[in-house]
Amino acid sequence: MTDREDIDMLAAEYVLGTLDPDMRRIVDERRSHEDDLNAAIADWEKRLSPLNAHYRDEIPSRDLFPGIRARIEEARVQADNIVEIDLLKRKLARWRIGTFATGALAASLMVAVLVSDFATPVQDRQFVAVFHRDDTQPAFVMSIDLDTRAVIIRPVSATLPEGKTYQLWIASDELGPAPKSLGLLENASVPTTRSLGEFDPALLRNATFGISLEPEGGSPTGRPTGPAIHGRLIPVEH
Amino acid sequence: MGTSTRDLEQFLARAADGDMDAFGHLYHATSAKLFGIVLRILKNRAQSEDILQEIYVRVWEHAGDFEPGRASIITWMATIARNRAIDALRRDKRHDAVVDDFDIDQLADHDDLSVADDAERNDDLRLLEICLGGLDDDRRKMVRLAYLDGFSRAELAERFAQPVGTIKTWLHRSLKQLKECLGS
Repeated sequence: MTDREDIDMLAAEYVLGTLDPDMRRIVDERRSHEDDLNAAIADWEKRLSPLNAHYRDEIPSRDLFPGIRARIEEARVQADNIVEIDLLKRKLARWRIGTFATGALAASLMVAVLVSDFATPVQDRQFVAVFHRDDTQPAFVMSIDLDTRAVIIRPVSATLPEGKTYQLWIASDELGPAPKSLGLLENASVPTTRSLGEFDPALLRNATFGISLEPEGGSPTGRPTGPAIHGRLIPVEH
Repeated sequence: MGTSTRDLEQFLARAADGDMDAFGHLYHATSAKLFGIVLRILKNRAQSEDILQEIYVRVWEHAGDFEPGRASIITWMATIARNRAIDALRRDKRHDAVVDDFDIDQLADHDDLSVADDAERNDDLRLLEICLGGLDDDRRKMVRLAYLDGFSRAELAERFAQPVGTIKTWLHRSLKQLKECLGS
């Protein structure tokens, strides 16, 4: 039997469902980087899927959808908390003394920080937020001082693809439905400082901040694009 | 189903943008179909409902991955559902999952097409049935038990009183014959 036949039969049995759990797991893993296996699976899905017509409709319990909804919202909250606060503090300490590493950033990055859902003591006037692209590696750290209304965005592992620029945004109910641009972060290797003097501290405290990857010169539509990754703003201990 | 494929695709596209209401419409239009799949494979109502929830969370997470040119939306969702149900079945076989009082023979031989898919899908089904009809009885039953009821090689071996190696050989011959017959 040729390799090609082996792959075709592996795909066929995967789709048919007769493989044992270990083999299924191996196929799942392999198909992510083996185009021919993935294509063979798609072909077998197409061949056998007409059999789906033999499945009879069955009505699930009425209260199932709220459960699904709850699971999705829960997953969103967990995504917001990917960086544990203790871990984050340790990282911050390290970043302050370390040099900023560089690394590739996902092609489209839109990170938002929800300020409003974090209960903060009134005396805390300084906040930081981590804009991260996966569980472990932040791309930007933003610090904001509510007294001076200065915001500093420090790139941590962000590189800037050619012909692109990062754009900072603020969104708040008081500012209307669309996020407002706070300007471009032209250079992905040095901190950018922005003065948010025109914004009221109370508004800033409840605002959402975002960074998006845009064409050179900024978003052509006046609005950010791309999927959102959420982080949290945390007060800095003195 | 009362909802067109185009409607479903629009619901999914809006769900990909985070629209939970659209996702709710998608759920209500498709959950009976997907639940039918999961229940037939798992044969336990409570477990099937739990897996159905996982399936829709997955559909939500992967809503942006759907490519309309590759498969119909309902086929795409059914594939996710079948895969999850089979994974759950294999996983729980190790822990002696409770099986509701289903008559597997009756389910496996049940041929009532209650789902009104579009004409093209029916043509595909007719051709596949003709090709399945070209297989020996036992082999045709094997393919159907595997696809529709989630039988593993080992379960087929037990049912047809054959060594697992023989089942594997039969399956491969049947699948190759099907592929040739379907001409794709």
